[in-house]
Amino acid sequence: MSAADRARKALSRLVDASATERILISTAALVLSVLIGAVLVLVAGRMTTCTAGEAVYYFGTGFCYDPVVVFDRLFLGALGDPLSGSWSPNGQFAVTLRETTLLIFTGLSVALAFRTGIFNIGTQGQMVVGALATALGVLWASSLVSGVVGTVVLIPFGLLVGGVFGGLYGAVPGLLKAYADANEVITTIMLNFIATGVALYLVSGVFKDPESAANQTVPLPEFAQFPALLFGGRQDFSLVALAFGLLAIGGLYYVLEHTAFGYDIRTSGVQPEAAEYGGVDAKRTVVASLTLSGALGGIAGAMYVMMVLGTFQTGIPSYGFDGITVSILAGNNPLGVGVAALLFGVLKSGTTVVQFATDVPPQLVGVLRGLIILFVAMPEFFRLLGRGLPGAGSKPEAVATDGGTVTESGGETDE
Amino acid sequence: MASAVHLDGITKRFPGVVANDNVDLEVEPGTVHALLGENGAGKTTLMNVLYGLYEPTSGTVRLDGEPQTFRSPRDAIDAGVGMIHQHFMLVDPMTVTENITLGNEPRKWGGLAVDRSAAREAIVDLADRYGFDVDPDARVEDISVGEQQRVEILKALYRGADTLILDEPTAVLTPQEVDELFDVLEELTAQGKTIIFITHKLGEAMRAADEISVLRDGRKVGSVDADGTTQEELAELMVGREVLLDVDHGTAETGDVVASVSDIVVEDDRGVPAVNGVSFEIRGGEVFGIAGVDGNGQSELVEAVTGLRTPDTGEIRFRGEDVTSASRRDRIDAGMAYVPEDRQERGLVMEFDLVENGLLGSQHDPELAANGRIDWSKTRGHADAIIDEYDVRPPDADAEAHSLSGGNQQKFIVGREFERDPELVVASHPTRGVDVGSIEFIHERLLELRQQGVAILLVSSKLEEVQGLSDRLAVVYEGEFIDVVDPDETTEEELGLLMAGERPGDGGRPEATESEATERDEPADLTDSADGERA
Repeated sequence: MSAADRARKALSRLVDASATERILISTAALVLSVLIGAVLVLVAGRMTTCTAGEAVYYFGTGFCYDPVVVFDRLFLGALGDPLSGSWSPNGQFAVTLRETTLLIFTGLSVALAFRTGIFNIGTQGQMVVGALATALGVLWASSLVSGVVGTVVLIPFGLLVGGVFGGLYGAVPGLLKAYADANEVITTIMLNFIATGVALYLVSGVFKDPESAANQTVPLPEFAQFPALLFGGRQDFSLVALAFGLLAIGGLYYVLEHTAFGYDIRTSGVQPEAAEYGGVDAKRTVVASLTLSGALGGIAGAMYVMMVLGTFQTGIPSYGFDGITVSILAGNNPLGVGVAALLFGVLKSGTTVVQFATDVPPQLVGVLRGLIILFVAMPEFFRLLGRGLPGAGSKPEAVATDGGTVTESGGETDE
Repeated sequence: MASAVHLDGITKRFPGVVANDNVDLEVEPGTVHALLGENGAGKTTLMNVLYGLYEPTSGTVRLDGEPQTFRSPRDAIDAGVGMIHQHFMLVDPMTVTENITLGNEPRKWGGLAVDRSAAREAIVDLADRYGFDVDPDARVEDISVGEQQRVEILKALYRGADTLILDEPTAVLTPQEVDELFDVLEELTAQGKTIIFITHKLGEAMRAADEISVLRDGRKVGSVDADGTTQEELAELMVGREVLLDVDHGTAETGDVVASVSDIVVEDDRGVPAVNGVSFEIRGGEVFGIAGVDGNGQSELVEAVTGLRTPDTGEIRFRGEDVTSASRRDRIDAGMAYVPEDRQERGLVMEFDLVENGLLGSQHDPELAANGRIDWSKTRGHADAIIDEYDVRPPDADAEAHSLSGGNQQKFIVGREFERDPELVVASHPTRGVDVGSIEFIHERLLELRQQGVAILLVSSKLEEVQGLSDRLAVVYEGEFIDVVDPDETTEEELGLLMAGERPGDGGRPEATESEATERDEPADLTDSADGERA
């Protein structure tokens, strides 16, 4: 049997893998990436100089960086050291969950568009617009209500404002695509720049907080921000926000799998001609999908303002772009987005812990992060690839039939 | 002399399925052998065993009397077996020469570089020897499907194949390309090559093959001499019972006008009018057929009626309403069922399973999705009912559409559309790629619907189909109705002339090329008579 045939068989196995097998594969990939990362840390540690006292010794050789410490900090550190007994909800774990919450929304935003067959790179811009609109809207509304009532009213209001403005900003490339045939990849990228630029102009001008040196709006009052609950609030994380995130995951899953609208979206995403045949209005679906996608991005912006910063400041971190990776890692499945966002959140928050605790350069930590993401994403990527190949992964019953699209093939080009 | 190919007692089991059950097959060298069977009879599986893609559970493959063990197609190729798949394995942006020599390029400079001129020469020689008409420097993406198929055949020959397997080679070809292919097969066998071709079309098997073996449910049920058999005999072997190739048409009460088209002009994708001022009306309980050579505006007309294309001028009315610019969804909701021409692009979402595909077009139907929420258990029941009644194989609602063979995909679509409880059924080539047993069933169901008072617009390039089923038959030529006739009062010869563009009572007919009026399809073969008339 040639190598190519073996590869083909492996690919079909991968395509046919059950859910349990896929989880096992992902776990194995994670372990493997950690092992390879450990070797990298050792090699890098060998090439650096440090005093004998700082070095660790493995196999009788001294290394400057200890991979055990690095990965311990990256993972356990990110979880706030649950095994040490000194775990506190106000520690690093809250940071991890904060990142996870934001990534859930941007990840869902990208995933929804992806499922419609649209590549929304504009989540970042939609987030900026949503964040700015929320900061201004809530600031205006906070003069009308206050106290606990203020919190109960203003938080949904802020999310709504963020969602509406993010959604409107997402509708722009949607309309351009549906009615002017403009490629959404290009328009969303350009709209990102416009959002950032206009936000900078407004926040350094009319909406600038006169008391502050930074380009930011007047800070929101405390009652207009997400309540800390349980987690103390030192790390700008709110369980309420995470609950909204989980609700969004469940909601989007339900919409996609159990509603006619979701069916329209999924059909348009995989086979637009069949969708048209089935009575789906392609233009309306594109606009609706990008509007909803933008709304999710806008809500991420609202979360950032009302949970993390308490104001709008220029230079929002690239959660929108990370959302693309999260979505791909999750196979564009809303439920997967939750898991992928958590993994991403751990890696993001763990990176800072590693930098505090060790001398390992941040670039190397970046490499380790990249390795983990690459390894975890690869099996899913190959599954997608394998499904595209004729013959691979077809069910036995299907193989027994003939004449259709399941023509077994490929072996002939194996040299 | 030993048989070129001798499959001896081949059994191939998959978990839960016996795809081939103790099949013997002997093919004489220098002959064309047709492997005939219904969709899902195990023809492709058997050939995949011969091509080394599957190892048989038991049984022996012999070539020229020598037992062979193929672990991969590589082994089969080395032993002189080549297979041409239904979907070609060509690299589109590369040239014909590059595609053929890919992986076996002549080399120069001690194997460091590809010797392009030697490769080109080898291809020219090879093409000359078998009388193939291919341009060795053309890019594959620029040549026709028929030429691509010849490139595939050349590729197999270049690798030294003596036995060629062709999997449904005519499925993708136009009628005149089919003629060319059969000429090629004749030339190949004349030079000693052995051909096995898989088909479910009776007419083709009889035309091109020397011997025909019929598979049914994984077993070989007979081998017959192509000259000594009839279509009826073959159909009975394939299906296992007597098949009525002629439809008992009967009559039905016609009701009110359900749909009418007046004077519409429809442009094709290039902006050229493909339908030019066509008018007709269809009453309930009536089958209105449209006959014509493919590409004379049928597709555009059907798309305009069903709402996938907007006509430039004219009016389409459905159940008394003007629906000329109504959306596709509105028309579905109003009771228009549509069996599309292209099942894999339009009719099914290939990645979806049959449960989800059963919902296509009904996703806003309150029956299955009240208030926009899909009732999946009802939807599953709906899919199961279609699978059961229309004999879709495998009978598994969780199977993804792409895993079904073409005929079974078609049966599922037809079932879904017929069971929509429609007022109007637009059926475009409803039995294309479907085996004879299922064709019979689909025809019966179509006539049952007519009996129930449903209006039916039937478009087919199979003359016997439209002629046998229609109450009134329009012949379309270059976007216009040449004539509307009573199919029972019209001979095939007359229809053939009309399809070629000759107006009734009109001496001079427009230039009809060879390509026209030559739909060769199963089971009837109208073309010989039509050609004869024109000659």
